[in-house]
Amino acid sequence: MTGTPAPLPSLTAMTFRRGMRIGRLYLVLGVFFTLFLTVVLLRSTKGAFPTAFPLEIPMFAALGSMGGLMLFTNDRSKGVLEYLIAYGVPPRTLLLNALATATGLTTIVLGAALAVGLGGYVAVGNTLSTDLENAILFYTIPMAYAGGLFASVAGMVWSTLSSPRTGMNSPVGVAPLLGVAPPVLVLVLAEASSKSDYYYITAGSAAIFLVIVVALLLLASRLMGRERFLSPL
Amino acid sequence: MATTDLPPLPASPSPTPRLACADLSSGYLGKKVLDGVSFSVEEPAIYVVLGPNGAGKTTLFRTMAGILTPYRGSVEIGGRSIEQQATRDRLHFLSHVDGIPDGLTVEEALEFYAAVQRASHGDVDRVLGLLEIETLRAKFFSELSAGQKKRVSIARIFLKERDIYLLDEPTANLDPKVATEIRDLVLKLSRDRIVLYSSHNLFEAREIGRYVIALKNGRLALFGRIADLRSARYTVGIRATKGEGQLPSSARKGDYFIFELAGPEEVPKLLKELEGKGVQIREVKEMSNPLEDLFT
Repeated sequence: MTGTPAPLPSLTAMTFRRGMRIGRLYLVLGVFFTLFLTVVLLRSTKGAFPTAFPLEIPMFAALGSMGGLMLFTNDRSKGVLEYLIAYGVPPRTLLLNALATATGLTTIVLGAALAVGLGGYVAVGNTLSTDLENAILFYTIPMAYAGGLFASVAGMVWSTLSSPRTGMNSPVGVAPLLGVAPPVLVLVLAEASSKSDYYYITAGSAAIFLVIVVALLLLASRLMGRERFLSPL
Repeated sequence: MATTDLPPLPASPSPTPRLACADLSSGYLGKKVLDGVSFSVEEPAIYVVLGPNGAGKTTLFRTMAGILTPYRGSVEIGGRSIEQQATRDRLHFLSHVDGIPDGLTVEEALEFYAAVQRASHGDVDRVLGLLEIETLRAKFFSELSAGQKKRVSIARIFLKERDIYLLDEPTANLDPKVATEIRDLVLKLSRDRIVLYSSHNLFEAREIGRYVIALKNGRLALFGRIADLRSARYTVGIRATKGEGQLPSSARKGDYFIFELAGPEEVPKLLKELEGKGVQIREVKEMSNPLEDLFT
């Protein structure tokens, strides 16, 4: 081979970069909405920040993570997955790369919201209460990842089981709603319980959603034939 | 880009290995498309894979490339299963779909495939030159014409040299100029490598192929040398400069008067006969292609 041995980025790194590019609209919307609400809450004179701030982030983090799923569905319909399988990339790796991208994008939204929100809260002279810390540790962070990953894996399974569609009747069209569902449902469940059980329910639910994600991933990579990853064109 | 202008391709890394399909049955979601296909190839050449729509050409390529898992039978290269990574590394597959990721420039798309194939930046630069697409380097794939897209899509199979190339309709929907350029590249490639090439263009198949692998209803209908194929009917067209009135006006195709013969050996007899009638012959052209019979 005549080429000079210049190292290229890994497939995972390239996948993440492509995911950011392809899902940039969702990422920008996720970051914008969560920061907008954060600023509104910081400026609130009614002291709503400690209770409302931890609750708003997971929904927008799930929205911002859509790049992972979009990458997968796009690559499938364009025939990219077919080539990757031919070159020896296992279907499991294709699913994992999309999930890693969704995780990275969730981290960006989550990181931006926590940095601006908590930084701003402390900067204006407040101290972080134990309740706020617990809410962030046992609800915000786990539910942000659970929502994003659940939406991504459910969308990928749906995408491989169906023909490509566009608009709201497509995996990408419905996935943001799937991502919002876990944090909202868990919140309803936790609100109906006693205060002592609150964080057990939120953290436990997040764990259950993550188990569902892993189970769907295992089922998809083990039970689905490789033909599910082919372009229908 | 004429054949003689093409930059040299790297020499094949090792003697061409044997590609063998044994009793291969495959398909989609349990529905069988290929049924008991067996053949093996070892000689470096272009093997044209022909068959009507739905015959199983793309399914054969996808199964040989290790994308589809066969229901029965096996694909081996050099005696090793296609399921092994080392075996996959001896083969390139070009799908009928472009397979270029969305939102990437031409250079980024080739870098993506270079990373997958463990090639380098240098290889990307080399194929940009080889396919004469250097000027497209910074353009997004979506901005390219159909011919340019096909060149970029084909470029990926030159990033890393392999022993066997599976090319699924590489010249489909291309203008004649680009199709000729791509055929020239493939011809050059086939000097020391095995190329399986599917096409709907029978004249192209006859022009570049040395062997034909014909599929019909998912089964192997024929595997043989194209030169050995004979049409059931042999048709020639004749253009005359004088004495056209002596030619049968009922069998005419454009400027050509059509004659159906038992075989090419009857052509001299026909010409002598026509000259005897005062016909001055300007051109004799073979009008039928023996590969057409594979579609009937």
